[in-house]
Amino acid sequence: MRVGIVSPYSFDVPGGVQLHVRDLAEHLICLGHHVSVLAPADEDTPLPHYVVSSGRAVPVRYNGSVARLSFGPRTAARVGRWVEGGRFDLVHLHEPVTPSVSVLALWAVEGPIVATFHTSNLRSRAMQAAYPLLRPSLEKISARIAVSEDARRTVTTHLGGDAVVIPNGVFVERFASAAHRPDWVGTPMRPTIAFLGRMEEPRKGMPVLAQALPQIVRETPGVRVLIAGPGDCGPVRERMTAEAAAACEFLGPVSDQDKASLLASVDVYLAPNTGGESFGIILIEAMSARATVLASDLPAFSRVLQGGIAGELFRNEDPVDLARAVAALLRDPIRREQLAAAGRERANVFDWSVVAADVMAVYETVTQGASSVRASSEPDSMWARLLRSGRSSGGM
Amino acid sequence: MDQLSWIVGGIALAVLIAWYLSYGAARLDRLHARVEGALSTLDAQLVRRAEATLELANSGLLDAASAMILAGAASDSLEAGTDTESQTSREAIESDLTQALELALGEEALRHLREDGIVGAPVLARVAAANQRVQLSRRFLNDAVTDVRRVRRKPGVRLFRLAGHAELPQTFEIDDELPMLGRGA
Repeated sequence: MRVGIVSPYSFDVPGGVQLHVRDLAEHLICLGHHVSVLAPADEDTPLPHYVVSSGRAVPVRYNGSVARLSFGPRTAARVGRWVEGGRFDLVHLHEPVTPSVSVLALWAVEGPIVATFHTSNLRSRAMQAAYPLLRPSLEKISARIAVSEDARRTVTTHLGGDAVVIPNGVFVERFASAAHRPDWVGTPMRPTIAFLGRMEEPRKGMPVLAQALPQIVRETPGVRVLIAGPGDCGPVRERMTAEAAAACEFLGPVSDQDKASLLASVDVYLAPNTGGESFGIILIEAMSARATVLASDLPAFSRVLQGGIAGELFRNEDPVDLARAVAALLRDPIRREQLAAAGRERANVFDWSVVAADVMAVYETVTQGASSVRASSEPDSMWARLLRSGRSSGGM
Repeated sequence: MDQLSWIVGGIALAVLIAWYLSYGAARLDRLHARVEGALSTLDAQLVRRAEATLELANSGLLDAASAMILAGAASDSLEAGTDTESQTSREAIESDLTQALELALGEEALRHLREDGIVGAPVLARVAAANQRVQLSRRFLNDAVTDVRRVRRKPGVRLFRLAGHAELPQTFEIDDELPMLGRGA
């Protein structure tokens, strides 16, 4: 099958949607399909061979965080060329209502379209204003996928209709086989906690962690907090007390391999995200690496962690509860082991082998319908079909 | 002069209306094609599900009574597929097939089938995969139908009869939940 996949976010910076697109493409290529990915990227960014750049992306404030998007007439022309040249059986758009490459592709594509919705807060003001303009092109989408129940609810309430829930995938084995790094492994005297994510993005929860840190350090004096992710650590450090800052080790951006090792090595992986997460792929990666997960009780996180069975939850945006939960976990190795084992088991449901089979079922359903329509209507033009009376589209 | 601007204005208005109508007609046509495609897919998937069920019934791994119920429900569905019956009766027949599967695949029967790696497990996987595809195509059809019905409710579309004589499509409502088969293929 010839599949075109479109990512609205730039491949220059890692992010949930981009990673999902990359993994899906690689898995489909492994299965023997022809896959081309269209995404914004700077000219000097090294790209995998199956990715086509739609041009440079510019940072834009959109939907509560800074996204790197690509648009404008030049980009639109490139999108058009990619669609035409690809001769795809099907185009799979991610986040079709983001003002970037996806929405341009939605306009350009004439064949069958599958769309995946990742966000759980779709109704941005921009979206509301542009809605009448978007509506007709949204009708071109044959199949809608939502990555979680929350994302699905957003689709059904704001766009109408329904969506199939297919969760994000994880290559469980890659994380499960990650090597431990001795300097990241905690000891009873010096336990380790990991935080991953952009520091200047408040939704990732750094401020909550910073507020909780003094209390965490008071209860567990030897604790080491390993913070990985892009961003300037200066302002973050300044806002902390001296003792809290001393407990933090900033690792900067880490490679995929190091991320897996970090998750596998630490005593507790902490996800204090305050919102905007509809799924939380990072939790599943951590669970695959057999980490003990402690996350805020966002609905999406709670669902992934099965309400606290596959990982511990604390009250969202509550530093006191966060500190309490950290202290309790660090004190109780048996509980940590229990959660890690349950998490590892839970992660299997999200393995790419399972998820990609579901995506493939959607692709087949959609292409089958499109080819049957083409077969029955190829010879006559649209006008002929319109003028002919009594074309049935109802009963079967 | 005044007359000229009236004429120009009139032509512009006519062009605008013509554009609006042809745009609306093209949009509706695209939607009808989507419904048609989704409908034929659903039809094909329902047939495939019935065939897989028949295979399960004839596998010899179920007790005779369950096998008979399954075979009966499956052949009803296959017959309905070829007839041009009303949609409501087809919905009832397919719901019956789902129910028959639910009854036949009790805990013990499932265990027995899964233990047999040569015939039982593969045939069960085929039924599960077929049912998942029925669920998918039904949902996609109903989405398309909802879109068509919404557009056809618009006053402009109704006034100029942009839908032509095309029937107003109906959503396809059946019970297709088989929770004991777990997720898909």
